[in-house]
Amino acid sequence: MSSGGLELVAHEVSVQFEGLKALSEVTLAVPRGRITGLIGPNGAGKTTLINVLTGFQSAGTGSVALEGQAVNGIAAHKLRRMGVARTFQSGRLFRDLPVIDNLEVTGVGLGQRRRDAIAEAQRVMAWLGISHLAGMIAGALPYTDERRVAIGRAIMCTPRYLLLDEPAAGMSEHESHDLAVIIRRIAAELGIGVLLIEHNIGLVLELCERIFVLDSGEIIEVGSPTQIRNSDAVRHAYMGTQQDELLPVEEAVAS
Amino acid sequence: MSKPHSVIRQTITTPIVLIVVLLAMAALTYAFGSRAFNRTAIEMFINIMVVVGLYAFVGNSGLLSFGHISFMCLGAYMTAWLAIPPVMKSITLKGLPGWLLHTQLPMWVATPISGVFAALFALIVGRIIMRLSGIAASIATFGLLGVVNNVYSNWDTVTGGQGSIVGIPPTMNVWIGWLGAAVAIVIAYLYSISRSGLALRATRDEAVAASASGVDIVRERLIAFVVSAFIIGLAGALYGHFLSIVNPGSFYLRTTFITLSMLVVGGMYSLSGAVSGVVAMSVLIELFRNLEKGVSLGGVTVGLPNGVQEIAIGIITIIILIYLPTGLTRNREFSWRGWPLQRRLAPSVQTALKEIN
Ligand SMILES: Nc1ncnc2c1ncn2[C@@H]1O[C@H](COP(=O)(O)OP(=O)(O)OP(=O)(O)O)[C@@H](O)[C@H]1O
Ligand SMILES: [Mg+2]
Repeated sequence: MSSGGLELVAHEVSVQFEGLKALSEVTLAVPRGRITGLIGPNGAGKTTLINVLTGFQSAGTGSVALEGQAVNGIAAHKLRRMGVARTFQSGRLFRDLPVIDNLEVTGVGLGQRRRDAIAEAQRVMAWLGISHLAGMIAGALPYTDERRVAIGRAIMCTPRYLLLDEPAAGMSEHESHDLAVIIRRIAAELGIGVLLIEHNIGLVLELCERIFVLDSGEIIEVGSPTQIRNSDAVRHAYMGTQQDELLPVEEAVAS
Repeated sequence: MSKPHSVIRQTITTPIVLIVVLLAMAALTYAFGSRAFNRTAIEMFINIMVVVGLYAFVGNSGLLSFGHISFMCLGAYMTAWLAIPPVMKSITLKGLPGWLLHTQLPMWVATPISGVFAALFALIVGRIIMRLSGIAASIATFGLLGVVNNVYSNWDTVTGGQGSIVGIPPTMNVWIGWLGAAVAIVIAYLYSISRSGLALRATRDEAVAASASGVDIVRERLIAFVVSAFIIGLAGALYGHFLSIVNPGSFYLRTTFITLSMLVVGGMYSLSGAVSGVVAMSVLIELFRNLEKGVSLGGVTVGLPNGVQEIAIGIITIIILIYLPTGLTRNREFSWRGWPLQRRLAPSVQTALKEIN
C-alpha cells in the first residue's frame, strides 16, 4: 500500500484453543491514518485477532509486525508503549476511579508524571468533548459516555494504532453517528491507524476504506465497501449463522 | 476547573487530619493515662503502623496478603541483633557474625536499618510472588509467613529459636509511638498519590485494561510490596523496643488475623479506613481485656472467662462486615469537607484518595 510499511500487520496468524481453531492463517494490515474494518458473525475470532495484535494472546503460528518490526511475544503494556492501543468489547473502565483518573492512568503507564498526565487527560477530554465528565466516577456513567471515556483512555498521548472492539454496541443511531465523527477525526486529525470491529455493518461500510470479513477464524473476503456489499461469500457467512445479521447489510445496500 | 490541579493540594487534608487526631490521643494519654494505658496506646500506634503498611499494598493492589507480619518479624529481629548490648548477644546469639556481635546501635539508627532490611527482603521474594495472580499470590504470601516463622523458630544460634531473646533497650514511649504512626501515614499517603499508586489502583479495578494502558502490573505491585514491607519493618523494630524481648510466636497467625481484621473493619481501600480500623478494634480489645479481668459490682467481681476476647472480636468483625461490607469508613477518606460532599455521589462507589474537582 501507499504508506510504505507504516502499518500494523498480522501475517498468517493461527490461534488454537484446546482443539478449537479460533484463527486460521489470518493476514490483515492496518495502515496509519486510515480506517480499516473487521466484521464477522459472533464467535468468528475478531476479538481474538485484536488480542493477538495487542499482545494479550500469543499467536500459535504466524507473526505480528509493527511498522516492519516483529513484535511477537511482546507484553501488552510494552506494545501500548510502542503505540498500539485498544478498547474492550466490555468497556473495562476503572470503575472506582473518576473519569479523569481513567485517562490519567494511561499517561502514567506511558511514563508521564502525574501533573503531565493530568494535563494530557484534560486535553484529550476537551478534544473529545467529554470535559464535563472529568469528576464523575467511571462506574456510575451511562453506557454511551462509558464508550467515549474508553476511547479517550486509549488515545491518550496519541498512539500510532487504535483497535476498537465494537465501540457502537448498544448505541442509538444518533449516538453512533456522533461516534462515526469521532472515529473519522481520530484517523484524519491524529493520523492514527484505526481497526474498527463492529456488528453495526452500516457504520463499517460508511467509515472504512478497506474491510476484512472473518468467519470461523478465516478471512473469507477483503475489499472496499462496494466489494463487500456485493460479495456472495459475505452474504452466505451471515445467512449461515444468524438470519437477522443479514438485515444491516441489506439496509446498507439499499441506502 | 480546567487548569491543572495539584493532586497533593486536593488530598493532603487526609493525612493531616489523621496525624492531628492521633497526636491528640497521644497527648491525652500522656497527660491522663495510667502506665498500663500508656502501654495500650503505644501498642495501638504500632498496630497503626502495621495496618497502614498493609493498606499500602492491599488497599492499592486489591490483593490480600497474609505474609506481611513476616516483615514485622524481620524488622524486630534485626533490631534485636543491632540494639541488644554485645555482652548479652555473645551469650544468647553466638551464631551472629562478629561485626554484628560487637555493634550496638541506638533506636534511631537501628529502626530505619530494620525497615530497609525488611524492604530488601520483600524486593527479593516479591519478584517471584508478584508474578502470581489473585488468589495464587495470596496463598504464596501465606507460604512466606510460614517459611519466615519456621526459620526464625529454628535457627537457634542466630534467633534464639522458639524462646525469646531479651535485652533490647526499652526506649519506647507514647510520643515515639505517635511519631512512628505519623511516619507510616506519610509514607503510605505519598505512595498512594504517586504514579505507582494510581497505576496500581487501576490494576485493582481492571488488570487487563491497566495492561492495555501501558501499566506494568508486576512492577507496580512490587513497588507497593517493598514500600509496605519497609513500613511494617519499622513497626517491627519499634515493637522490639516496646517489649524489649522478641520471640517468633508474636509474629505469626494471631497478629496476622488481628491486623487484617483491623484493616477490613476500617475499610481496606482507604488510608483513613486503615487508621480507624485500628483505633476501633483497639478500643474493643481493651474493653474485653478489662471485662476478662473482672469488673466489681457492689463488692462482687464479675469477669468474663479467658478467651472470650478473641471470640467476641471475631463475631463483631463479622457483624460489622455484614452491615458495612466496605468497612467503617466505607472506603472513603477523611477531609475537612470531603464527607458530606462524597456522600452525595453514588453510594456504592469505593475509591482510594480519589481526586474530585
Ligand atoms: N480464552 C479462550 N479460551 C477458549 N476459547 C476461546 C477463548 N477466547 C475465545 N474463544 C473462542 O474462540 C472463538 C472466537 O472468539 P472471539 O471472542 O474472538 O469471537 P468474536 O468474533 O469476537 O465474537 P463476538 O462477535 O461475539 O465478540 C469463539 O468460539 C470463542 O468461544
Ligand atoms: Mg468479540
